[in-house]
Amino acid sequence: MAELKLLLKYRDVPGIENIDVWESCGGYEGLKKALTMERSAVIDEMKISAVRGRGGAGFPAWIKWSGVLKHTDAPHYLICNGDEGEPGTFKDRELMLKLAHQLVEGMIIAAYATNTDKGYVYIRGEFVEPAKSVRKAIDQAYAKGYLGRGILGREDFNFDLYIHMGAGSYECGEETALMSSLMGERGQPRLKFPHGALPVDAGVWESPTLINNVETYSCAPHILRNGGAWYASMGTERSKGTKIISVSGHVKKPGNYEIELGTPLMEMLDLAGGVIGGKLKAIIPGGSSVPILPAEKCVGVNMDYESCQAAGTMLGSGGFMVFNEKTDIVILMRRTAEFYAHESCGKCTPCREGTRWMFKILDRIVSGAGQPSDIDLLLNVCDQIDGRSYCPLGDAAAWPIRAGIKNFREEFEYWITHKKSPIGDDCVPPVPYRINPALIPLS
Amino acid sequence: MDKENSNSITPETDERTHCKKEGRFSSNAVAELEEIITHYPNKKAAMLPALWIAQREYGGYITPEAIREVARLLGRSKAEVEGVATFYSMYNFKPKGKHHLEVCTCLTCGCVGAYGVVHKLEEMLGIHLGETTPDGEFTLSEVECLDWCEAGTVIQVGNKYFGHVTKDNVEMVLEQLRESDDHTPTSLADDIVKILLPEGEPKSKVE
Repeated sequence: MAELKLLLKYRDVPGIENIDVWESCGGYEGLKKALTMERSAVIDEMKISAVRGRGGAGFPAWIKWSGVLKHTDAPHYLICNGDEGEPGTFKDRELMLKLAHQLVEGMIIAAYATNTDKGYVYIRGEFVEPAKSVRKAIDQAYAKGYLGRGILGREDFNFDLYIHMGAGSYECGEETALMSSLMGERGQPRLKFPHGALPVDAGVWESPTLINNVETYSCAPHILRNGGAWYASMGTERSKGTKIISVSGHVKKPGNYEIELGTPLMEMLDLAGGVIGGKLKAIIPGGSSVPILPAEKCVGVNMDYESCQAAGTMLGSGGFMVFNEKTDIVILMRRTAEFYAHESCGKCTPCREGTRWMFKILDRIVSGAGQPSDIDLLLNVCDQIDGRSYCPLGDAAAWPIRAGIKNFREEFEYWITHKKSPIGDDCVPPVPYRINPALIPLS
Repeated sequence: MDKENSNSITPETDERTHCKKEGRFSSNAVAELEEIITHYPNKKAAMLPALWIAQREYGGYITPEAIREVARLLGRSKAEVEGVATFYSMYNFKPKGKHHLEVCTCLTCGCVGAYGVVHKLEEMLGIHLGETTPDGEFTLSEVECLDWCEAGTVIQVGNKYFGHVTKDNVEMVLEQLRESDDHTPTSLADDIVKILLPEGEPKSKVE
């Protein structure tokens, strides 16, 4: 198992953002094939492929698709979650920027399979260039009759696709918060199953709603073109197909790599040219929300959902961040906590208050005022957030901090005892108050 | 995700941009909004697009008049519109400089030199994070992950991204920006509104 290009196969073809070039690479053939099949047969193909949601949770895509199709009494809506905001993840950005037709084709296939006539691509507000590509792809698809009324001569299939731009909120990447934002509200989450309705039963405007990640929809054209069994022949027993991994940090060749699921984690690192600036210290394999893996635990882990979980972390959204020996884990955790404190939507108390307390305690430690009891206090705050917040943002804030302490406790103790970094003055990220005292509110 | 954005509406006037600070949406803006409303089952869903139009119409930030106008056009209360607008960090409530520099200092960028870039910019511009230069040319902000980590350190300036910025080459970014006449907070909003609309001008309708 190694690098295996499927979604990124045509990334570097000149002019691939144009519909003619995409068609010459086999584009829209998956859609044409889908339209010769029954709607339920398209979903069966997705079921055979066993493709799982690529946004982070890894939920089987076909279950959502069939959940929407079974409703016959209300209008359906299709949403693409292009609100990529997870630190370390930049796959959707590239998929939208360069391969927007792949996404649009995938969404049209999903619309047909779920009998939906209206869809939205929700794109984070910062992504102006990627959104321009999607705009161009949608306009071209309308001109060619792939969107609009009576698609490809099928009188019973109409689909309109719109773009909805976000305006700066990490929380809107959470699916129920995204739906609030799409409906013109603050981007705050809604009550989840079993306390609230599933989006497939009552999503936006209380209608059955299919919401998938950019990468998930982008798989559909390939699955339909080549068959679900072909897709399922790749990957491991329970993690089928390929996954795009965004590699960044202290590596020689950062960027997006598409690998067969199950590829060894260390092979992933080699693909990106290996560590630079010193020895490997730690890797975060799936975006800032997943637990950090120290170097010694990276060996033997494979890049698939089950293997990552067994190693105490997650594949998540595939944001693969590499840190060398110059990295100060305590400062890194302080920055992580700062991110979640800033992005917490404020709806529920455990997350709103807890993320701020985590940041304050970590900030106290790196400002030289840490107390011996702070480590246990941090773990206590993590326990008070984890599993108690309204949406997964709270869990995602607690997991990395807890894993940071579990794997690098001696660094926290060093900071508290010596009031300086165990790495030295040239650590990264730099000690914040040394760079700019105005950055930290010491309260 | 601008970290210094104030969450209150301050009725300031701004002589630096030539956009109006009061009055109603232009007839073109109303036509755009009417077209966007047709994308949704109800008017309320056009709230974010309407605020983007407002940010463009009122010179790169949302004034109290802009809130009133969005509320009127969508048939919502001013309190609701302000409540939604202040949730999102990309809507400005104070005028920003002509070039709004938003430096990503999140995990990857923070580990590959972003704080050095911030420090150098503070030195060169003579301002701290969150401040605007007295001539109104530059505003400096720190933002959360811009999701282009492979090119860290990344700076967003309106609709432009600068990648692979270091403390040694950041001066070139400033030089490039000084040559540009673009008022970036306004042009960013303008680009976003254009993205929401299919190719071709919306039909102009009489108010």
